[in-house]
Order: sequence, then structure tokens, then C-alpha cells
Amino acid sequence: MVNVFSVPIFFIVFRETLEASIIVSVLLSLVEQIVHEDTSRAVSLITDEKREDGRPPELAVGEPGSPEVSPPELLSEQDALLAKKRLIKKMRIQIFAGSGLGLFIALAIGAAFIAVWFTKASDLWAKSEELWEGIFSLVAAVIIFIMGVTMLKMDRAKAKWRVKLQRAFEGKHVGAGANAGRWVLFVLPLITVLREGMEAVVFVGGVSLGQSARSIPLAAVVGLICGVVCGFLIYAFASRTTITIFLVVMTNLILLIGAGLFSKAIGDFQENAFNDLLGADVDDTGGDGPGSYDVRGNVWHIDCCNPENNFDGDGWNIFNAIFGWTNSASIGTVLGYVFYWVAAVAVLIYLKFVEGRTKLLGRESAAGVRRRQRAALQHDSEGGSVDKE
Amino acid sequence: MRYALALLAAASPALAAVQELWWNLTYVENANPDGLAPRRVIGVNGTWPPPLMDVSQDDLLILHTTNSLDLPATMHHHGMFFNSTSWFDGALGVSQCGIPTGQSFDYIVPINSSGQWGSYWTHAHSNGQYVDGLRTSLVIHPTQEAHQYDEEFTVILGDWYHDEHSVLINQFINIANPGGAEPIPDAALVYFGQNGTYLPPITGRNPDPVTAAVGFNENATLPFQPGKTYRLRIVNTSAFAAFFFWIDGHDMRIIEADGIDTEEYATDIISITVAQRYSVLVTARNDTSANWAIHANMDTVMFDTVPDTLQPNITSSVSYALGAPLTDSGFIDNYHDIADQDLVPVQVIPQLPPATKTFELEVSFDTMDDGTNHAMFNLLTYNTPLVPSVLSQMTLGTNATDQNAYGPYSFVLDHNDIYDIVVKNSDTGKHPFHLHGHKFQLIGRAQDYTSTDPTLNPPLVEGQANPMKRDTVQVPSMNSVTLRIAADNPGVWMFHCHIEWHLEVGLAVLFIEAPIEAQERNAVPQYLIDQCASQNIATSGNAAAHSDPDDLVGLPAGPFPQILGWRPKGIGAMAGCVLTAVIGMLTVTWYALGGHISDAEMEHEERIAAEAKERRGRFLGLAKVFKRS
Repeated sequence: MVNVFSVPIFFIVFRETLEASIIVSVLLSLVEQIVHEDTSRAVSLITDEKREDGRPPELAVGEPGSPEVSPPELLSEQDALLAKKRLIKKMRIQIFAGSGLGLFIALAIGAAFIAVWFTKASDLWAKSEELWEGIFSLVAAVIIFIMGVTMLKMDRAKAKWRVKLQRAFEGKHVGAGANAGRWVLFVLPLITVLREGMEAVVFVGGVSLGQSARSIPLAAVVGLICGVVCGFLIYAFASRTTITIFLVVMTNLILLIGAGLFSKAIGDFQENAFNDLLGADVDDTGGDGPGSYDVRGNVWHIDCCNPENNFDGDGWNIFNAIFGWTNSASIGTVLGYVFYWVAAVAVLIYLKFVEGRTKLLGRESAAGVRRRQRAALQHDSEGGSVDKE
Repeated sequence: MRYALALLAAASPALAAVQELWWNLTYVENANPDGLAPRRVIGVNGTWPPPLMDVSQDDLLILHTTNSLDLPATMHHHGMFFNSTSWFDGALGVSQCGIPTGQSFDYIVPINSSGQWGSYWTHAHSNGQYVDGLRTSLVIHPTQEAHQYDEEFTVILGDWYHDEHSVLINQFINIANPGGAEPIPDAALVYFGQNGTYLPPITGRNPDPVTAAVGFNENATLPFQPGKTYRLRIVNTSAFAAFFFWIDGHDMRIIEADGIDTEEYATDIISITVAQRYSVLVTARNDTSANWAIHANMDTVMFDTVPDTLQPNITSSVSYALGAPLTDSGFIDNYHDIADQDLVPVQVIPQLPPATKTFELEVSFDTMDDGTNHAMFNLLTYNTPLVPSVLSQMTLGTNATDQNAYGPYSFVLDHNDIYDIVVKNSDTGKHPFHLHGHKFQLIGRAQDYTSTDPTLNPPLVEGQANPMKRDTVQVPSMNSVTLRIAADNPGVWMFHCHIEWHLEVGLAVLFIEAPIEAQERNAVPQYLIDQCASQNIATSGNAAAHSDPDDLVGLPAGPFPQILGWRPKGIGAMAGCVLTAVIGMLTVTWYALGGHISDAEMEHEERIAAEAKERRGRFLGLAKVFKRS
């Protein structure tokens, strides 16, 4: 089953799609909010279109430093509502067009990237498969580590993007050259989706090199669909708590996969070294049981259940993909697995400390001090919570 | 001229009942018999190959051996009974401690009392020295031959390595060789002898000077005269390779195997495994218009690979006329074994009565717990005992009948009882098994010992009128053989695979035969004991040099078969992995929950971060595409 469905690739695509779709969702809801709150600014977001329509350029406002804009003529309440709806529709079209283009470009680049890898570069690792598999597993493990940890922050995507958008509307720069006003609703989702897509391509590329080519498409497509669906569900229905729980579960899964890949990377390096020791002419290796593995440093060897067995490995290779199961573990692979988790634990504790959400040995981080002071300030001025949620 | 010499040689043994040979075991530099690579070999008295041994049935052979090598050495006269004198058998660590460097040992081979004749061979049984060349044929002429022939030749076959045994054994027993791929020979050799003398190279050929007196392979030839009948004594002195032997344009009739004269048995090909001997009668052609190729092809089935540089098929020739064209019919593909149980000994000896005890020995190879590959009988690999078993047998008194005393790979036989040895080969290779001190009756063979089909796994037949006897039997994969012996030879006798590499990874057991009778006949020479003492090897007690026969503390043992599955350290490691994963996942949960940050706070933090970023400058934004924010 793993032959046609790569679990790591599913998770990478899923995660990136999820992030992109959350961002797009945030954009969608924000524009609605903005249109209702401040129609004139909203109009400015699609001024380029109006220019093409031959409208007077003085409507193209929203330049940096011009907070006051003369609102368009308002004929009646109903007309205004209709206009708003039309405006929202136009904005949505822009957003979807931008996301769509971004997705297309990302997919095209991804397909090209993978095609090149598997047609041109596959000879590269055919000779010493274990070495390359080890390198790629290591790359994948590191990527997944970063992904897993950052994923926990995804519940902040809404806040983050609200800030970004608002800053964009206010005419500030939003990252990669997206000037406010012109095409922002097209460019922003395009860049976002493209960025997440490129990340996915790089990650998928990094991970896929250790996998068979045919295991990628299905996993990528399923990941894409799941990401969009989950993104929509989260956006539409879920509270932040639900998102948090969802993210915790996902992160745990992702870190399990990452730890397994890290352990596998070490196992592959050791196997490569063992194969080097045996020399090219020896064909007695492979399979399970005595002689198939290096007894030095071996911790357990089960004469079955080999995840790399393509003939009856079903089940065990899924077990391997998710939990890093191996039927032949060494001190190196076991320590690798343990230290991957230890690193994750250390990073998470450190992050929570830096974010000011926990004390460490009685000490507070700068952000922690800031939060405490602000909370005290708010408490003093308002005498209660300011949480708008 | 040659005929006259032959007459002289045939006549001379009758003159002397004691044949004494003085052999100084020496290294010979730059021997290059195959013309491919000069190497250091082990020879005798500064020459290589070692002299041929050619004696008569009524001779007492004494081999005065001096060891000038840098390791202890022994000489083994393969197939000789050494009745009640197994200390002359020459098995290192079993029958003696080895001749230390610079010392001498007199091997007394009582041919005149053993009732043996035919084709045998002599080789080192120590430290793989026979792989390095210390091997030669031993021909015993009876007073009356069973078959008539005009002339005889000895055909010596052997595999040949360009590296010394000490190098090869380290590569073989190595963690880098878990599959146990045996060293593959670099060449094959065939050379000839007659009446104790090697045949020289074909006139006009210029072989390597070190071995210039001997013709090898295509430089060697058997001179045939039309109409004559020749006896060829074929000896396989290989360390590893079995051979297929045939002569183009000539038929062969087997008349002897391992020193047992047989009724004539026609065959087109002699398949001869390591340490076996066959004599064949070959009748010369009546025309002298052509010479004919002799083929000796190594059986490469056992080779892990056949390197491009290896020519496993070698040829020599039968020559009728110098310069006549050579007829070489080339390769044949109908290799087959000789059904040696179908051979009929000339001297009729009925099957021994049913055995009082049967030893079942199952052969297996595996990667052991130290990562090296070893061979096992019944999942136990052989180790040389600390005390040579012959000395244990002599010094344990009444405890000598305690089987435990000799180590776990030993079996005690009671005097004159009948025993069956059933060898079951579970390995994928074919193995030549050799029993010292006996000729076993070959009373059963199964093609698949695990089968319930009586054609593949026939039941043992009792009362066979005249079963074949020999001292080395080939057991193909999944085959079994049943060998019957009478324990009529007090002493200690090794039973082992004669592939040197397999012997050295422990494919051996010891039969401790009639210990009490052996003690009664004890005549272990003092120099044997002295030579042990000079190497600080104990000369009394059980295999581990203890007087308590059952105390085997200190006895070398192992390596042992790997035990796979969940062992304590594996369970512990798995528990540790699960524990850290659980702690990790709890940390993830802890991180996400608690210390709640409100959306407003988040937006505030993001705003601060965004402003800070902006202050740092826009150019950093370029790198952001691939960077998580």
C-alpha cells in the first residue's frame, strides 16, 4: 500500500494545503468584514479594474498616507447593499483567481521538479540506495520536524493574516512586493498559495526522493483534497479550541513520522556502511534473519515483519511510515528515535517559554514580561478581560 | 627405459619393509604452477610440489617430519587406519599438538598391518597448510592387483589460490562475510605422477623455473602407447573445489574408490569431490594420429561467483605422438555425480549387523551471534579442545568413557559396537564428509531426508550383500547418507567436512572410540607430549584440562546461532522508544494548551513582529518565500 501511497507526502501536502486554505478563508471573511465596515477602502482594493473600465483615476485612492477617502455615491440602502454584494463577489473572484493561479503554478513547478528528479537524477542513487535513502530520510525528518513544530502555531494563522491584510489595506508592504491597493486581493492569495505550494514542492521533493515515483501522485492529491476540506471545515465550523486539538493530533502524527524517518535515516546509513563492508560482490545480504544485518550494535531483530519487504510487507510498511517500525533496530536507530523526540520536547518547551506562555525554572522570557505587563495594564484600565473572542 | 624403471620401482618395495622418508616442511618462494602469479607455497625439502609417496602393502612407512614453518604443523595420511595408534593421525588439536617450529615428529604409518592398499593422499591437517600446497598423493601397491593393466599414472587435481591461506581465512571468517562465501580459487591445477615421480612438462615448453620439473595443466601430458591399458589414479587435493574429469576420445572404467577395489564400472565422467580418489582403467586408442585433451573442470556451483579472471576448466593431454594435433571436444554439459553406492567392492564384505546406536548429524550454516558465518552439526560449531582428545582419552582413566569430557561435539563409541552415522545436509551446498580411522559402509542415501516419499527418502535396508565402502562421501544439498562402522579402532577419530574452509568454521565432530581399550594400547610417544608442553598446551584431563570430566570451564565454545525476536534489550529499547514518543506527544499537547493567548494578543504580537521585520528592510522579504514566518 505504501508503494502507491506515501504517508509523509500525504502529510506534507495536507499540511501545506491546510495552511493555504486557512489563509484563503481568512481573506474571504476579512474582505466581507471590510466591505461592510469600510466600503470605500474595499473599493480601492479593486481600483485597477475600475481604471480599465475607464473610471476616473481619482477613485484610485488608498495610497499610503491617505486615510480619508471620499466614498462613492450612495443612491439608496438597497442599491448600496447590492453594490456591496457585487463588490464582495468581485473580490471573491479575485481571491479565487489568485489562489487558483498560485495553485496551478505550484503544481506545474512541482510536477516538473519531480519529473526531473525521477527521470534524470534517479540514476544517482541507484548504486547506493541506502545512502541516498538515508540522506533523503534525514532531510525529510528535519523538514517534518520544522513543519510539525510550526504547525502548532497554525491556529494563529487567522490573527497573523488579519494583521497582514489590515496592514496591506493600510498601505503597508506585505512581504513579497504586494503593494496595497492594487491587486492585493489577487496577489496576496496567489503569493500565499504559491508560497505554500513551493514549500510543499520542496518538502515533497525532499521526502519523495526516498520513495518510489508512483507513491507520490495519489498521496499528493489526497493530501490536497483533505487539506482543502479540513481548511474549509475548520474555517466554517470549528472554534479555536477545536483547531488546537486538531493541530495537536496532526502535529503528533507528523512528529511520529519524523522520528521514524530520522531513525530510518540512521538505519540506512548503518546499512550502507554494512553493505560497503560486505563489498559489491556479496549477494547474500537482503531479507531477514542472520546475515542480513550487522550484529554489532543490534538491539532487536525479528525474522519477519520487514517493512522493506515488497512482497509481504503490507501493514508493516504502514507501521514503518507512521511509527518508524523496523524489524532490525540498532543502538543508533533507537537513540535516533529517542533523541528526535527529546529535541522536539526541548524545542517546544523553549518556544513556549519564548512566547511568554510559561515560566522556565521560575524565569520569564521578554515576551512573558511584556504579556504580564500588558495584562496588568488592561486590567487596570478596563478592569476586566479584553478578549473579544 | 621407462618400463625398466617401472619394473625397478615395482620391485624395490619388496626389498624394504620399512620405508623411511625425511621431510622438512619449508616455504618455497615464487612458485607459479599456473603461470598466472608467483606465490610463496609450502613444500618439502625446499621443493614444491611435495614428493609423491609410493609404497607397498607390506611396507611400514615412517615419515620423519621437521617443521621449518612459522606455525605448528601436522601431517595426515588420509584414509589410513592407524589402528589403535590414532596419535599418528595428524589431526591438529585432536591427535597431537602440532609440531612446533624447528622440531620433528615421526609419523609411523603401519601400512603393513592395516590391510590397506590403493590410492590415498597425504596432507597437512593444521592451520590450512594444505591449501598452501602441503599435499601429495600416497599410492599403496598391493602384492596382487585386482585388475590388470599395463601402466599406471597418478592424476593430481587441485584448486589453487594466489593468496596465502592465512589471508584467505581472515577474509572468510569475517564480519564482512556474513554469508560465508568461501574463498574462490584463482586457478585449477592438474599434474601427473608415475611410480613416485612427477611427470615433467612437455618437451619444449618453458614453465616457471621453481616448478620446472613438473608439468602442470596444458604443459603436462600423459604419454600413451596404442593398445595399452592404463590405470589413472585420480586424487582431488583441493581445499574447496570438486572436479569433473574426462578424457576426450577415451572411455573410463572405475576400478577403485578411496582405496577400495571395485568391479569395473563404466563412466563417461569422473565427478570427484575434495579428498576423494578414483582409479580408472583407460584403454589407449589404436591410432597415433592425434593427441587428446584431458579435461578437469572445477564444479563452480559452490562458488559464490565465478570471476572473469578465473578459468575453472583446465585441460591437459594424452599424447600418442609428439607434435600430433590435439583433439579437444570442449565443454560438455552433462555433468553428473557418480552413484558411488552402486559401486561393487571386489572384496566381498556383507553389511555390518544393525547398529546399536545411530548418530544423526544435521549440517547447517548460518551467520552466528558474532556476525561471522559458521558451520554446525546439530546447531553446534566445533572448536578445538584445549587438550588433544587423544590425550584426554589416555589420561582420564575410567572417566574416559564420559562423553561430556571431550566437549559437546564428541561422541563416545563402545568397543566393537556397530554405529550408524546419518549425515543430513540442510545446507544449499554439497559437502565431502571424511571419517578418520575408518572406511564406512555406505548403506543408505536419500535425495531428500525431509521427504515422506520412499523414493526420495528410502528406509534403511539391512542385510546388503556387499555395500560400497569409502572414507570420503559427498552429500548434496538436502541429501542424507547413512554410514555404518564397527568401533574396532580404539582412538579418537575426527569426522568433518573436507572443504578446508568448512572445517575451519567448525563442521566437525569427534568420535571417541573404545577409550578403555585405547588406554590399554597406549603408546603415545613422549615427543608428542613434550611438543604439547613446549607450546604450553595441557596434556591431561578433559577437553578443558580439568581432571573432573564434567567440568568444562574454559573450554572454547561458540559462536552460537543467533537468537532472534524480542530479547530483554530489545524490549527495553522498544519501551524506551514508546516512552519518549509518549512524553513527546504530551509535550506537544502541553505546548498547545495552557498559557492561552487571545486573538487580540496574537494580533498585537504579529503586529510587533511585522513592524520589526519592516524595520529590518525589505530585501529580507526575498528570502521569505522559502522561509517559514
